[in-house]
Amino acid sequence: MTTKCILSTGNIMTAGAEVIRKPTLEKSNTELVNSLRENFKASSSAPISASSSSNGSNNSDCHDKKLSPQEWIKVGLDGVTYIPAAVDNPEVLVEERGEYDITVKLFYLPNVPPSLRCQHTTDAVRLVCESLGTSHLDLLIVSFPNISFDAEDEDVSPESDVAEWARTYRTLEALHAKGTISRIGLSEFGTTRLDQLLPHTKVKPSVDQINVRDCCVVPKPLILYAKQRGIELLTHNDCTDILPAETLEEVLVGEFGIFEKGVKMVPQWVVKYTAVIRSRGVVENKGYIAMIEAE
Amino acid sequence: MPIRSGTWVSSNYSKYGTSIEETNGMFCYGEMRFEGPETTIEYHVVSYDEEKKHACISLRQAEILEELANDEKLRNTESGIKPSEEILEVMPIFHPEFGRFMLEATPGAPFNLTWKDLLSVERNMKLRRVIAKQHMAATEAPITLPSFPMLGTKGVFTHPPCTADGSKSRSQFLPDEVINPHIRFPTLAANIRSRRGKKVAINMPVFYDDNTPRPFNDPTVDYDRHLYPEDDDVRNGAAKEGHIYMDAMGFGMGCCCLQITFQAKNIVEARTLYDQLCPLGPIMLALTAASPIFKGFLADVDVRWNVISQAVDDRTDEERGLKPLKNNRFVIPKSRYDSVSTYISQDPRLRPEYNDLDLVIDKDIKKRLMDNGMDEHLATHFAHLFIRDPLVIFQETLDESPADGSDHFENIQSTNWQHMRFKPPPPGGKIGWRVEFRVMEIQMTDYENAAFAIFIVLLTRAILSYGLNFYIPISKVDENMATAHHRDAVLTEKFWFRKNLFPPRKPTNGTGTPAPSRPASPGPVEKEYCLMTIDEIMNGSTDEFVGLIPLIESYLNTVNVDVVTRCELAGYLSLVSKRASGGLQTGASWIREFVRSHPDYKKDSAVSQSINYDLIKVIEKLGNGEGLLDEKLCGRLLGRARP
Repeated sequence: MTTKCILSTGNIMTAGAEVIRKPTLEKSNTELVNSLRENFKASSSAPISASSSSNGSNNSDCHDKKLSPQEWIKVGLDGVTYIPAAVDNPEVLVEERGEYDITVKLFYLPNVPPSLRCQHTTDAVRLVCESLGTSHLDLLIVSFPNISFDAEDEDVSPESDVAEWARTYRTLEALHAKGTISRIGLSEFGTTRLDQLLPHTKVKPSVDQINVRDCCVVPKPLILYAKQRGIELLTHNDCTDILPAETLEEVLVGEFGIFEKGVKMVPQWVVKYTAVIRSRGVVENKGYIAMIEAE
Repeated sequence: MPIRSGTWVSSNYSKYGTSIEETNGMFCYGEMRFEGPETTIEYHVVSYDEEKKHACISLRQAEILEELANDEKLRNTESGIKPSEEILEVMPIFHPEFGRFMLEATPGAPFNLTWKDLLSVERNMKLRRVIAKQHMAATEAPITLPSFPMLGTKGVFTHPPCTADGSKSRSQFLPDEVINPHIRFPTLAANIRSRRGKKVAINMPVFYDDNTPRPFNDPTVDYDRHLYPEDDDVRNGAAKEGHIYMDAMGFGMGCCCLQITFQAKNIVEARTLYDQLCPLGPIMLALTAASPIFKGFLADVDVRWNVISQAVDDRTDEERGLKPLKNNRFVIPKSRYDSVSTYISQDPRLRPEYNDLDLVIDKDIKKRLMDNGMDEHLATHFAHLFIRDPLVIFQETLDESPADGSDHFENIQSTNWQHMRFKPPPPGGKIGWRVEFRVMEIQMTDYENAAFAIFIVLLTRAILSYGLNFYIPISKVDENMATAHHRDAVLTEKFWFRKNLFPPRKPTNGTGTPAPSRPASPGPVEKEYCLMTIDEIMNGSTDEFVGLIPLIESYLNTVNVDVVTRCELAGYLSLVSKRASGGLQTGASWIREFVRSHPDYKKDSAVSQSINYDLIKVIEKLGNGEGLLDEKLCGRLLGRARP
């Protein structure tokens, strides 16, 4: 039997030293894995009244009692397992909604049938909205699996891929029409791919994300192409392999004993969200949510 | 006449106090809009004598400012009319400074925290320089250097030439003509001297080179002058052996700085930023070092800070603890220009142990402020500022009602030159709570100035986003400040710095609801910090400490940044990073090397007019953005800077 699980990190801006990675030293998927691990650790420890983990000393583990998985994960009414249990009253934004830019990046993962993307998108957007206590997002960027921008060279993508992108894109356009998302973004699209996809779109993408390592070598034609069509070229530092199944297994089975050995885990999608106070450039909330299927 | 008054603060703070309660700590003006940071740049105006190969300071500040004021484009800006779009931005505003050879320029408007505005910082600095230059004589130019190398040297160093015999400074090196003639400035200099009871005495250790006489006794000191009573100072040992001796306020206030003012969203954020940037002060001072020459000699320090500190030290012998207290109220350990002595935030992370200096305060003022609703930390801060006497008071403002203005408050506030400044909103305006970061040395090029300004701006964003904690005991900040002066401190010294910058994880329990808060039992303060190199602080050490630049990069990876901006920011961050690692030289090292490898240098610490002329010419050239790609000239200073 297949179990759907929702993994979440909570707000990692306030999560302490363990999740702030050094961009130069580590692979970028470490942030997601570390912050999941830290959130699980915090959720699975029962605080003992007199002990303390405040003011920089991170000695909570030696004082705190470990809870059994049943105590800190929860199966919702929808039959989905929430790891950790969903927060009853989520951390809502401090200031008025209009002060924020909420950017969400949805990673469709490899080995997941593209036909599920419509449902996955709806689920991911709903969960992000719930955890931030908002009804709409300013920007939704989608990242398709197995494509990466190459400053040197770009292949023409097969028509079947383009058709899948276009199909997914219609879901985004529907969310846009409902007012759930204000702007649509793509990731790792070069001129050729943009040129292939754009004719299939009604609401044009506002953003195209390029890996930060290429920020100084973006080809002129792409800059020009983007400028003409009002597409902002933004940088990102996300790994293509954002949630490897083996790492996931290590954490869920090995470290936290949530599943028994031998259970097969397939990550379905990952979403990253950030809430930035626009006028002041302060990041108030950032987190990840991932959906996996275990059988 | 000493006026001891905290009137403006107390009468106005009670007003703010009410607002604070009403809005649950979120105080701000109704109509106030958030404005971004503002960078102040100060220039020396140099004047060349091409025949004699002399580079002097020009005393034509007033004429240049008048030229600037007559400029139609600039005038329009001040009356609110925007210049045409082609000019790109609001025109900068020029101000007079203490030195008659200086100009201060602020951008016409603070930049907002958009990427476009951030990238306009350097362009705006270039614009300020170009406009300043346009209003000068053909033989004049603005340069950005903390201290003019020949200031106070024997021989000619001003244009026009003047004699050092003025009654205001009574200096044997600096003529009164170097002081801005506006009555406020000579009075400042005279009052500091008369309050102190003697001339200020600035002693900077000399850099002993191969042929420098040992011991070094400043050969420019005249022990036989009998013009003023203060001429006795040197006969009573004011000039120390092994030191370059300077004797006037102008040596300090003639220095140029790079200052950044941030507007916070409210008083709480302003107090947080004040405290968090405070420990960064000495680090940024060492990192921006650009002052290795004073009064024509190579010094064994790289920064200007202590020169200014000693140049405005108006404490009496009693206040300095040299004589028992009789006429004065306090023994005061620091000059009015010195490092911050107390943290001011109400942040629970501020442990009492961090405010570990025996702070001198005026207890009556503190009580009065607290009686009016001010909290203890802030009342202590203001009561500390008010141990100083005002330096200049205009007769006509004496009877001003405290409700009408902040003149008397500003009089004390603006002559407490600490390395951070906490600025309450000026009355009537729409400006909110601000914090000024005052410690950095001005750099020779706008590229460097922009890099450091932007570094600090981004760092504040990371501080606020990640809730970073830089607190260390404030006595350690003082120690760092002293360390930062050492020659090449950036590469050879270690500084006290906090080991873990991150907030503890908010406790949660199994049901996902926040656990009840637990009483904190933090470990000993001494375990929270250790000595680090600036390279470790900036770039991180392999696994122990994350590093400020990786933190900023992490912040940049979290927010939406366009590719062009990110590429430019990468250049700025790389400059700061390499200055910290030694991959590039500080301005101070570069200037020192320039002098020491000059064919006219006799390895005796003395900087000749010809060396100075060549140095200033090169500095002007670099400042104008020329020769930046000349690897031999400035490859070690700027790396692969963009032209």
